[in-house]
Amino acid sequence: MTLPEKMDRFVQVLHLDWIVREKQPRAFRWAPLLVIAALVTGYVLMARTGGAVVPDFFIGWLVFYGAFLAAAFLRALGPRFTATVHRPLDERELMVKARAHATSGVVLAMAVSLGCFYMTTSAVPSLWHPQVMDWFHLGFGVQAVSTLLPTWIASWLEPRPARDLED
Amino acid sequence: MDNLYNRIAVFRAERGVSRRELADAVGVNNQTIGYLERGDYKPSLELAMKIAAYFGVPIELLFSFRPFESVADTLRRAHAAGEGPQ
Repeated sequence: MTLPEKMDRFVQVLHLDWIVREKQPRAFRWAPLLVIAALVTGYVLMARTGGAVVPDFFIGWLVFYGAFLAAAFLRALGPRFTATVHRPLDERELMVKARAHATSGVVLAMAVSLGCFYMTTSAVPSLWHPQVMDWFHLGFGVQAVSTLLPTWIASWLEPRPARDLED
Repeated sequence: MDNLYNRIAVFRAERGVSRRELADAVGVNNQTIGYLERGDYKPSLELAMKIAAYFGVPIELLFSFRPFESVADTLRRAHAAGEGPQ
């Protein structure tokens, strides 16, 4: 058995070909919202500890970064946003992509604007204000939400899958 | 916005063409052909013309803002006029 054959065999045994096999995109109607809720929950759990190494922080960390990973998976398995060599995006998919990203861009811009307004309260001592690590986690949070929102909006823009016996 | 009706499924069935074959011929995903047939998606002029060209018919035979007459009604009318198969 040649080296390429051995490598092929290795991939088949471990079922790694699942990663590159062509998959039908799925519409996630509510899952992205659940993941956003998990991101918020994890972030709040981490932020309320003030950086102290306590169980709440680790639970929050796990929930937050678990949701971050879930966001990447939902993006990969949800409506198609990225063309491949064998499957370019057609006009309908490009339209869905454009509308989903445009809408989520507006929502994110509004959320960031509200955050900026909130930052003007930094002189108010009784309110929560992010520390260095809170900003770090917030960056990942915004990144995750910016992948989840288009997935969620595109899922609702996609009609019910058309299936019949011939295809 | 007006509904856009089409007879893609009828033409496809008549020619024995699968969704995938039609999709490959006009350069779209086969799911898009399914959405078109169900009326869930309105095609661009370019796509509509490609589909009409694929079947070799004028675009107005495939797409209309008014519902198409059913095949049964068309045959019945043709038969009554003495045009259809005996």
